[in-house]
Amino acid sequence: MKIKVVTRILEANERIAAENRKLFDNAGVYVINLMSAPGAGKTSLLEETIKEINNRLKIAVIEGDIAGTQDAERIGNLGIPVVQINTGGACHLDANIINEVLGEIPLKHIDLLFVENVGNLVCPAEFNIGEDIKVMLLSITEGDDKPLKYPLMFQESSALVLNKIDLLPYTNTDIEKIKRDAFSLNPSLKIFKVSCKTGEGVREWTDWLFSIAKKD
Amino acid sequence: MHEVSIALNVLDIAIDNCRKSGYDRIESIRLKIGRAAGIMPDALVFAFDAVKTDTLAEKATIIIDHAPVGGSCNTCKKNFVSEETYVLCCPECGSNSFRINSGRELEIIDIEVV
Repeated sequence: MKIKVVTRILEANERIAAENRKLFDNAGVYVINLMSAPGAGKTSLLEETIKEINNRLKIAVIEGDIAGTQDAERIGNLGIPVVQINTGGACHLDANIINEVLGEIPLKHIDLLFVENVGNLVCPAEFNIGEDIKVMLLSITEGDDKPLKYPLMFQESSALVLNKIDLLPYTNTDIEKIKRDAFSLNPSLKIFKVSCKTGEGVREWTDWLFSIAKKD
Repeated sequence: MHEVSIALNVLDIAIDNCRKSGYDRIESIRLKIGRAAGIMPDALVFAFDAVKTDTLAEKATIIIDHAPVGGSCNTCKKNFVSEETYVLCCPECGSNSFRINSGRELEIIDIEVV
């Protein structure tokens, strides 16, 4: 006999993501799910962002990695509340993993929470964690073919930060192609060009961040 | 994307529905998967066969109904459907300005139980 089910397969994740979202909203915290390939500079971007914006917004960070605590130590050195999650092999964070560590984040005392996802251009885009927006980072050295090779992440993100632009003269990367292809996948995408090494462009990024993250 | 996580969720939901209805074996599970859901059907079936061992779904097969990508163009105002995974421009007029309305479905439609 046939039983009608008609249930979304990721319903369990969506339900917990909605719970997380409620906790964030009640505390007035804006949440950004930060995603990129390994080595694109997520932690460096967070370091530069925190230095630039921490006097205007109170920030906390959840670090997701398969193993290790290096990232959390770097963020902790800036005096920011930080929780390290080790997924032990899982290639993305999901709503439940975030839910389990929220007790360690002082939600009532912060304005902005960054969740640094596991370095991966595929799976993290598939799992909502209760964030307000997804932001992805792409470094110039990864090449200009990435938007069309990993389209979902570009479609799901509200902003694309292009990092390591100080290396542009040493690569064949065509930044206009990245922008063209990314816009064709996602016409409303905001694009920022930064170098976490020289500090170039970081101010434009943090000004935008401030404008969207400031909740009353 | 992440076929083992998906397979485990499918298994949990199917077993839960089977038990609640008072049956004790699942013969088949019908899924609706959008072309843009980021799922490789073969990988999902492979993952499901690995996780179903020693459960009510041990003998269950997966049946997949594919759903096309549907959208509407902001330029020519037409609605379109596509069997492509990623629509990069309106298939009618070539415009880059369009909305995707469907194609990322990931649902269990029904299960056959005995």
